[in-house]
Amino acid sequence: MPDTYNITLEISRYDPESHLSWVQTYQVEAGGILRFVDVFRKINDEQDPTLAWASSCEHAQCGSCGIMVNGKPLLACELLVREAVDQFNTHTFRIKPITIAPVLRDLVVDLEKAYDRVHAAKPYLMKPAPAPPEGDEYRISPETLETYVEATQCINCFCCATACISSHHHFLGPNAMMSNIVRLMDPRETEKKERMDLLYGESGVYRCHTARACSFVCPKEIDISHFLALGKEGKF
Amino acid sequence: MGENLTIDSTVTCDVLVIGAGGAGLRAAAYIGEQRPGTKIIALTKVVSPQKSHTTTAQGGMAAVDPKDPIDKPIFHMFDTWKGSDCSADQNVIKKVCELGWEEMVWLERHGMHFSRTEEKRIAKRPFGGHMLNFGETKAFRACYEASRTGKGIMDTVWNESLKHGVTFIGQCVATELLFKEDTCVGAIIFRFPDGTFSAILAKTTIVATGGNAKMYLVTSNCRGNTGDGLALTLDAGLPVMDLEAVQFHPTGMVGPGILASEALRGEGAILRNKDEEPFMERYAPTAKDLAPRDLISRAIITEFREGRGLFHEGHKAHHVWLDLRHLPKEVHEKKIQEVSSFFKRFVGVDPEKDLCPVTPTAHYQMGGIPTNEFGEVQKDPQTIVPGLFACGEVATASLHGLNRLGTNSLLELITMGRVIGDKVVEHLKDAPEPEGPPSDAGHIVFNQFSTYLASQGTESFAKIRDTLQNLMMEKVGIFRTEKHLLEAIEKLKELREKAQHIPIGTTSLKANQNLWQIWELNNLITVSMVIAHGALARKESRGAHFREDYPERSAEFDYHTFVYMPEFDKITFGKRPIDMSIFEAKGEHFELFDYIERKY
Ligand SMILES: Cc1cc2nc3c(=O)[nH]c(=O)nc-3n(C[C@H](O)[C@H](O)[C@H](O)COP(=O)(O)OP(=O)(O)OC[C@H]3O[C@@H](n4cnc5c(N)ncnc54)[C@H](O)[C@@H]3O)c2cc1C
Ligand code: SF4
Ligand code: SF4
Ligand code: FES
Repeated sequence: MPDTYNITLEISRYDPESHLSWVQTYQVEAGGILRFVDVFRKINDEQDPTLAWASSCEHAQCGSCGIMVNGKPLLACELLVREAVDQFNTHTFRIKPITIAPVLRDLVVDLEKAYDRVHAAKPYLMKPAPAPPEGDEYRISPETLETYVEATQCINCFCCATACISSHHHFLGPNAMMSNIVRLMDPRETEKKERMDLLYGESGVYRCHTARACSFVCPKEIDISHFLALGKEGKF
Repeated sequence: MGENLTIDSTVTCDVLVIGAGGAGLRAAAYIGEQRPGTKIIALTKVVSPQKSHTTTAQGGMAAVDPKDPIDKPIFHMFDTWKGSDCSADQNVIKKVCELGWEEMVWLERHGMHFSRTEEKRIAKRPFGGHMLNFGETKAFRACYEASRTGKGIMDTVWNESLKHGVTFIGQCVATELLFKEDTCVGAIIFRFPDGTFSAILAKTTIVATGGNAKMYLVTSNCRGNTGDGLALTLDAGLPVMDLEAVQFHPTGMVGPGILASEALRGEGAILRNKDEEPFMERYAPTAKDLAPRDLISRAIITEFREGRGLFHEGHKAHHVWLDLRHLPKEVHEKKIQEVSSFFKRFVGVDPEKDLCPVTPTAHYQMGGIPTNEFGEVQKDPQTIVPGLFACGEVATASLHGLNRLGTNSLLELITMGRVIGDKVVEHLKDAPEPEGPPSDAGHIVFNQFSTYLASQGTESFAKIRDTLQNLMMEKVGIFRTEKHLLEAIEKLKELREKAQHIPIGTTSLKANQNLWQIWELNNLITVSMVIAHGALARKESRGAHFREDYPERSAEFDYHTFVYMPEFDKITFGKRPIDMSIFEAKGEHFELFDYIERKY
């Protein structure tokens, strides 16, 4: 079966030397099974070695490759050409960097800065419970784990934060806040006060308007707004 | 050359960790915990340590609780020795296997979200080559977090490092190690965002840059696994060891080579050929689909060669089937959910209903920077390099010898990371403050970068990369011969020359992906050359290294290969004996730690 597509990519470019921004159009003939990262590589190989884009694992496990395609934040390594054509019902794609951090060049943003928000949520166990009396590991039932395990799958791709209308200025953001909530639900964490302060503070969960854009875009299919709602209710 | 490039800033610290992956940050977290106030800087190519490649590890981490009524650390030691085809070092095997459970508990108590049994304990699953009673039957030894074990570990060591105030520098590469006399005093780094060079001066430097399999066309490795740490070490005139031992994982997904974890076969998945025959029964009657990786990878290629493979039209690649259809729904949905979803997403098959196409994928480097059992880097088998440590996949102590068992790598990261942490804490007691950078600091990297930046050539980056990846796959892959290896070496010389003449897209230093990738490509060619020479010199078959012209293991090669290559293709060899201390101690079962036959 001939499974190739002629697609048009309109890519936002930025040159950090001249500070110029522009949109550049690339025509690409690509196999349907190629991922968007493969398409970018193909552009580098065949048309333009200067186009910069980010990735690492290239199978949806690390969250390095977030971009906006026709307005939707997603992982470039997870989107196949064939599916993009189906999903967006077009052969032309407008591609922009995600908006959560400053652009370094083209599609590469300074996610290191965005990570400051996650660091601020202190994703570690602040004060672990005393060692279990039976020795070895803490005992946690599969049922308890089940209540929050979904949220532990977050890879901090910041797609949700990009989609979130509230997250740019005041709100720490859906993913960062969720990592705080995970530890509130984790039976091994005893530092509840500081966590609650984080939860209900200036940049806390009340900045969220429960519009659910986050859950809608999460490539890991985490129902982020569910966890944020638990946070608002304060029921752990 | 290099007159326009300068060191833009100098930073000092106690500990420089080059490579903030699982191994590097286990060491950092340990030092931070044991010696509060230590100034630690950890570097990574990605934006955050959390995105290091450890995060993609799926299946599990082996560890035996010494109180376990069924499994015993000695069985684990035996499996590791046998799995290595009698080429791992027994002092390291003993140390790592004995420390495993303690480290598992450390991870759990520091917040890792392990899967749980009904008894609320850490869940365990079987994995290839891990058996009870010295090879009798499969052991439940791999502790896991669904199919996200690596992520659980990475998150935990990253979190703990954060908690203890480790400074992370992301989006940078260490490009040159710095020495004063023989002591390592830090490294030069190049920062991607602003294109500046910094000298980082440190009392201790730990190299933990991970794997390097990007020179192979089909690989499970991430984009940044380009052998930088090995290239830096070679450039410094130091040796690397056993690089010919490249592990091909038998089940990469057809296409990009994304890993379909061994955990699938641990849960009961079966390999089948074109006639849907479960062919592993013929090659390994006892262990079958849970035989070690090298054996299964060779079995698959043999099936291809004898006409029992299949051909995938979309990806133009040979493959066999992995059958998961008979696994309970519960397993598909809870235990292997991630990997199942990869098949759906990247290959377009549904593992609950369809057979899944798989092919061997370059996965793991058993060799690396030689260290002693404390992670101290060796310059020859008797001498260490003061101030320099190495751990993780880039290092070799050696726990794996010429073949690694699944789940033993994650185990090595966290145990050896801690062992090194211990040594570093001791070392810091009387380590002198680093003074200024050495006078020749930057001479290596400025030379390289200015060549790439000034190139007016016409060679194609893509063509060199593709040629390299096909060459390594075909001639320095699962089956090797003298003829092919010699051809590969000639071709690599040519590629190396061409790689100096790739026209640069932009000479701006800021966020210049093109420049960065040309540097990486050169590292890959350097490391490929050493792999090919190591493979040529080892005229025997052992573990993952298989020579069709010398198909048997030979006692003549009961040693580790040291290779020095201070300049491209200027090779010298050395030898390091294999540590046999368990055997020599003559304790219970010592006879099993002799050079035994390896059958599954
Ligand atoms: C898909 C996959 C699945 C696996 N599953 C398992 C499993 O189930 N069990 C198991 O035991 N093993 C498994 N392995 C193997 C194991 O995961 C790896 O060997 C291990 O994670 C490597 O860890 P590391 O800390 O050495 O390196 P990494 O985690 O790769 O970290 C290396 C770090 O060094 C940085 N770095 C590299 N070069 C430079 C440079 N020049 N300058 C600065 N920083 C640099 C990188 O950016 C990164 O931060 C798997 C491997 C893969 C690829
Ligand atoms: S919650 Fe989902 S979308 Fe948000 S950062 Fe995590 S993985 Fe990405
Ligand atoms: S539900 Fe809250 S966090 Fe999610 S997108 Fe809406 S405002 Fe943002
Ligand atoms: S590159 Fe890792 S998620 Fe896309």
